[in-house]
Parts: sequence; structure tokens; C-alpha cells
Amino acid sequence: MTSTLLSLANIEKRFGELRAVNGVSLDIRENEFFALLGASGSGKTTLLRMLAGFDMPSSGHILLDGHDISQVPPNHRPVNLMFQSYALFPHMTVAQNIAYGLEMEKLPRTEINERVDEMLSTIQLTHLAERKPEQLSGGQRQRVALGRALVKRPRLLLLDEPLGALDKKLRGEMQLELKHIQNKFGITFIVVTHDQEEALVMADRIAILKDGELLQCGSPHEIYEYPVNRFAADFIGVMNFLPARVDAGALCTANGSRISASLPADLKPGDNALAAVRPERLRLGAADADNCLNGRISAMAYHGLDLHLHLETPVSPHPLMVRLTADVAEGHPFAVGEEVSVGWSARDTRVFTA
Amino acid sequence: MTNRGSLRLMLLILSATFAFLYIPISVLFALSFNASGLPTAWTGFSTHWYAELMANSDIIGAALNTLIVAVVSTLSATLLGTLLAIGVEIRRRKGRLLETVIFAPMIIPDIVLAIALLSFFSMLDFRMGLHTIIISHTVFNLAFVCAVVRARLKSFDWSIVEASTDLGATTPVTLRRVILPVLTPAVVAGALLAFTLSIDEFIIAYFTAGSGRDSITLPMQIFSMIRFGVTPEINALAVLVMTLSVVALAISQRLNRGRLPGQ
Amino acid sequence: MTDRKPVYLMTPALAWLTAFMVVPCLLILALAFFRRGIYGGIVYEFTLSNIALVFDPLYARIFLKSAGIAGLAATIAVVIGYAAAYAIASMPRKRQPILLFFAVLPFWSNYLVRTYAWIVLLNREGLIVSLARAVGFEGELPQMLYTETAVVIGLVYNYLPFVILACYAPLSRLNPEIHEASRDLGASEWTTFRRVTLPMTVPGIATGFVFVFVLSIGNFVTPALLGGGQFQMIGNLIYDQFLTANDWPFGAALSMFLIAIMMGLLTLQTFASEKASGQQRAEVCDD
Repeated sequence: MTSTLLSLANIEKRFGELRAVNGVSLDIRENEFFALLGASGSGKTTLLRMLAGFDMPSSGHILLDGHDISQVPPNHRPVNLMFQSYALFPHMTVAQNIAYGLEMEKLPRTEINERVDEMLSTIQLTHLAERKPEQLSGGQRQRVALGRALVKRPRLLLLDEPLGALDKKLRGEMQLELKHIQNKFGITFIVVTHDQEEALVMADRIAILKDGELLQCGSPHEIYEYPVNRFAADFIGVMNFLPARVDAGALCTANGSRISASLPADLKPGDNALAAVRPERLRLGAADADNCLNGRISAMAYHGLDLHLHLETPVSPHPLMVRLTADVAEGHPFAVGEEVSVGWSARDTRVFTA
Repeated sequence: MTNRGSLRLMLLILSATFAFLYIPISVLFALSFNASGLPTAWTGFSTHWYAELMANSDIIGAALNTLIVAVVSTLSATLLGTLLAIGVEIRRRKGRLLETVIFAPMIIPDIVLAIALLSFFSMLDFRMGLHTIIISHTVFNLAFVCAVVRARLKSFDWSIVEASTDLGATTPVTLRRVILPVLTPAVVAGALLAFTLSIDEFIIAYFTAGSGRDSITLPMQIFSMIRFGVTPEINALAVLVMTLSVVALAISQRLNRGRLPGQ
Repeated sequence: MTDRKPVYLMTPALAWLTAFMVVPCLLILALAFFRRGIYGGIVYEFTLSNIALVFDPLYARIFLKSAGIAGLAATIAVVIGYAAAYAIASMPRKRQPILLFFAVLPFWSNYLVRTYAWIVLLNREGLIVSLARAVGFEGELPQMLYTETAVVIGLVYNYLPFVILACYAPLSRLNPEIHEASRDLGASEWTTFRRVTLPMTVPGIATGFVFVFVLSIGNFVTPALLGGGQFQMIGNLIYDQFLTANDWPFGAALSMFLIAIMMGLLTLQTFASEKASGQQRAEVCDD
């Protein structure tokens, strides 16, 4: 059982009238890769800045190893931040950038040099130690920023949109490399990101923030498969929503067809509800499935790995998204205008209050 | 700045700096309305010294000369400087020599340009007077106009020029109907800056004015008043001159979207 | 766009600059190598004696003296100007333009008038003396006007706005995350200033220093008005050669020397800026 490293207790941050962070409580464990996920304005950056010490909470406590650090200035916290812009010192070389934080600890020169060399080899930049940041590529700068923060061996490393400035291909590689480095150093990472895919791939646990409040916290699997409400379901991945009404233990759509699913306890007969199902859970021509719908193909999008169909159905004003894997799509030459039927199981259906 | 203590220090520094910058100027303002005209005692509010100023024909004459020099050199510098700026920016290839020649009038010490022009005019046996001051002022004025207009052109979307050509306009038409309207605020800002520089300019005017009494400009008049016998009228004159250039600069800055010249 | 049109647009201005700046400056350059006639005027005969005279101990002393005064004025202006620019840059973003505007405003009012204001303040019957008397000070006050101190004050006062502007530019461009990164890595405010902010803003300091120095060393108005003609700067020396001593070739040699100092300093300053911003020929190397 791993122990709790960081506890946020009812954190609130107000800027005048605006509540940027509103009563967030979270426990983050030792050696965990944690992601704070949210759109811009969700309060995730404010939360991060409070952890780093650049903002003080208006109320609430931040406990690190059981000590309240919410009023400790940033230069006295065993917490380091990898900045979104990387914030490398342009007048210093790569090696000087990395040594800077160790010099602040007044370590002996020999130890500083040793640790800098070690870090340079970890981030594979030994050959560029004497370069200035301007002479590095985006990916190299990112590694310097990471190394500069890591070399201090913080209890907690914060990463603000760490991969945001990289191109798509490099981002994929760096996601794995970050996970690898986190594993190797055994340091707790908190990543702030707006990119849900990044959070799903990298994090052990994810917290979704919306309008300064914590919406849901859990493993990527929990977050993806069991979203707590309509917003969480919509925010992560793609979700089909079917408007319906609760009717005697089942759901009834606008055209009268029934959807079977397990209903949350708080829904009473007569309430409006939304049935939700992921596009990859829909199967073509599955007449024997728990739920079944007919529709007409209105558009198709080919992605290589898979084929996305948009179906016009009588139950929803929005097209129903169906995601077919390459092997299924291969066996069937679809055409726009074609009538198809899709089915899915009751187990894959989530129901939310409308 | 995170802590209160350093914020207080910053405010202290700012107050001290602004006090240093503005107290001397404010003293002149106050003094120009002091009945006695002396800094030793306040003897009551009076606009007497402004009236004296208006009655002084030397000063009025010098002011007129300054106005002639400023207006004519501003007009010519605005025309030359604007065309230069457009030409330089269209031509994307930047020449080092060209940049130096355009930049030089702004950084060359006044005294050097002054004696160079003096030598030049006198060796050509050119009769000196207001016209030589105008020619000389145009040199640095056009460089400043060019700098202001170029700053605007840096953020200029050149594709609208191509669009105009694509729609069938000739180059002069494009210049008149597309480029100049977009540049107007910057051109006016540059012109006002040039005007300000010209009415305040002393050294170059002093060397290129020749020896006649009839080509004395206001700064030359002020210099000799300060040097050879200060009369209280000079406070009033100082206030007027200062106000004029500050007003011109403020308008220029407005037009230039809050960017200060030289920024 | 072809290259033909821009040349045609640039021609009038370039012709003007050539006729009334380039040619006169070349003329001065040539003049420095001719001999002065016995009764003034110029004898067209090549000589290096004007250049040699610049290094004559008598004039070398004036050079050192004016370099000292200019250096002192530039140093004081940079210290005050940097502090003021730093203070402006640390104010809320939307207040900064107006603060900067008022800091630079005096720069655009008449130089003579601003210098004259200090005569009013420092005069024997001036405001400072009057104030001292008013608060009951009876003793003998030191002479303030017509001293070196007065000249230095005048130069600092006149050029301070320029220094503020020059220092503000790099300070306002600093990414606030750089400052935070330093704090995050364990540095105090003071260490952050010394090791990060200051080195990154050296270009502004260098620009401010060079301009105040060059404008001061070539100044003749301030020494004439606030120094009372007690001592000479290079500017006064040049002035005298042309308007009183009538030794134009020597005046021309002095001007060339002034330009040489300025170019030397500007080169140094460019070098300093490049070093500070880490812009050696950047050869980006790919992953």
C-alpha cells in the first residue's frame, strides 16, 4: 500500500469576485503519475501555481508529507515546476541551466558537477552541454527543462502542459519517455493538461476539473468507462447521447423504442434522461443485442486504423457515431445513404440526468 | 513581485524618479506666473510676463522663424521619409550600407552634423539663412519619419497590396488607395514628431543659420537669453515652448497607437 | 514586386541624405587631413598634424576630463534609469504604458529649457538656496551652479528618460516564467535579480550607457550653461574651433575622434547584447 504524499484540503482561490478554484480536495500518493485535466479556465493552472508556491490559497491547506506548505515561498519548497514555456535561462548554457538549482542549495562544486553530468546523460544531452537554449530544438529544450527540475530531486514534480509545444509525433514519444523517467526516479509527477488523450496515456490517476471544481477523480479506465455525469462523459473521448424518458425501469426514446440499461437510483419514472454509449461499443447488424437502432449513413470518415460512420436516426437530432475497426470495415463497402442497423449491450449503456 | 515590501520599494523608486523629472519643470511653470518673476518669493499670480513676451518683437520674430523652419522641414521630411520607408520595406533584401545611411541621422552627434553642414555650405559659398536650416532639419527629420512609418509597415499585411494588384490596380493607384490610407496615422505621427524635434532643435540651427539677425530661431534666442542676461520673460517662453512640443508629442503618440517614438 | 519600384521611391530621400549628410561628413573627414592657414581658412596640403594634436597632452587632458564627466553622468543615469524601469516593469501591466509615457515625456520638451530649469534651482539666489534660508540655514552654502556637479546633474536630468526607455524594453520583454523558474529552483528574489534578470537585460543597460556617454561627451550646451564655461568638453572644443578659434581642420579631426569613440562603443554594445541574449550564430540541431 503506497502512502499519501500530498493532501489538498478544501482549497479555494478567489481573484476578486472570481472563484478560480472552489473547494478542491485531493490526495495524491507517493510515486504516482497524476494528471489534472481540464479546459482553459477550469482552474487547473491556478491549482498548479498554488502547489508550486506562486499563488497562495484563499482558504484551505496543502499538506506535503503531513506539513502545511500553503504559505511557504516557492524557493523553500521541495517541489519543482517544469514550465509550459520551459522558461530556460537564455544566457546560460544547458549545463549551467541544470546546475542553477543545485547552486541554490549551496552544494559543493564537485557534487554539482557529478549530478549535472548524470542528469545530462539521463536526458541524452551530454553532447550539447555547452549549447545555449536558442541553439536547441523544441524536444531538446523540453528535456533540459525536465532535467533542470529533476536534478534537484524534488518530492513532487509539477509539469505544466509539458508536451504542448511539441509536434504530434514527438509528443507520442515523449509521453512514453516521461513515464519511463518518472518510473526510474520514483518521483511523484503531477501533469496539468487540457489534452485528454495525453492524460489517459500517461497518468495513473486523473482528476477532471471544471469551473474550479473537482468533477471526478479516478484511474483512466474508471474515467473513460464510468464518467460520473454528462459533462465528464462528453469531455473524455467521443460519446453518443440519446435523449429519453424514464418509464417503468427502462428508457423510452422519442419514437417509442426502448433502451435497456441499469438506471441510477435517483431517476424516477417520468424524468428526462440521457442514454450514452461509446462509438466503439456499437456493432453493425447485431439484431440479437440488448439495444437496437436503424439509421441511414449520412457521412463517413476514413482514419486508416478505423472507419467512422455518422448515422441519422429517428431518436436523436445529432448523428450517431459508429466506430468500426479496419477488419470489419474492409468486409463491407459502405455508401452514404445506405440503411444499416446497429446494436449494443445494456452493460455498455450509461444513463445520466438530462 | 510577490511581497509587499518590494512593492513599497518600487513605489518609492517611482515617486523619487518622477519627482526628480518633474520638479524642475514645475518650478518653471510656477515661476512664469509669479508677479516678481524671481524664485526667491511668491508675490502673487500674474500673467504679466506672458504679456511682456508678446510685446517682445525679437521673440515674436524668432518664433515665426522657428515656425517656418518646422513647417517646411516637416512637410519635406514627411514626403521624403514616407516614400523612403515604403521603398525600404517593399524591398525585402536589406542592405547594410542602406540601413546605416538611414539610421545615421538619428544617432550622429548633433555637433558633428552641425559642423559638417557648416563646412559644406561655406565651402560651396552657399549663402546661409533660414533655407539652410530647413535643408539641415530635413536630414534628421526624414530619418525619424522613416523610422515611425517603418515600424508601422513591419506589421503591415503586404498581401493586401497583392490583392489590389490582382484586382487590376496599377502601382500608383495601389499606393494611393491602399498603402497610404493604412499608413496615414503613422505618417501623421511621424510628421508631428518631426515638428517637435524641429521646433526644439538648437545646435544644427545655430551652426547653419549664418550670421544675419533675421534667421534667428526660438531656441537660438533662448540660448542667448540664458547666457547673456536672464529676464523673467524666459520662464513664460519656456512654458510655452514646452507645452507646444508636449502637445504635439501627445497627439503623435495617440496616433501611433500608444507606442512612443524610439520604442 | 520587382526591385525597380522601391528604388524609385527611395531615390529622393537617399539623394537628400547623400547631399546633405554623407558628402558633408566625408568633407569633414577630408578636412581633418588639411592644414590650417595662418589667418584661419584651409590650405589644401596633406598633413597628419591635426590628428597628432588630438593626442597632445593639453587636449588629451580635456578628453580625459570630459570622458570622466560623461562616464559619471552615464553611470548615474543608468543606475537611476534601470531602477525606475524595473519599478515600472513590476507595476500592473495595464498601468505600465502610462507610467512610461510620463517618464519619457520630459525628453521631448526643449533641451535648453530643461537645462535652464536647473539654473533656476541651483542659482546663488535660486530655489534651493531660498529653501535652505527659509528653513533657517544661515551658514555659507557651497557654490552649486557653474560646477562639475551641476553639469553632471544637468546631463543626468536630460538623458534619464532615454535610459529608462532603453532599460524598460528588455525588462518588459522578460518572460515572467523565467523569473518564476529561478524562484522555483530555490533562488531568493535578490539572487534571481543578480543571476537572471540583470544579465538578461544587459543590452538595455549598454544602450543607455553608450548613448548618454556619447551625447554627453559631445555636448556643448550643458557645459556652457551649467558649467559656466569653467571647463571644456569635447563638444565645446569643437564649437570653439569652428566659431572662435577658426581652426576647422583641427575641429574636423576632433569630430572624427568623437565619431570613432561612438562607433567603438556601439560595437561593444552590440557585442554585449549578442552575448546576453545567447544569440551566437544559432545552429539549431535536430533531434
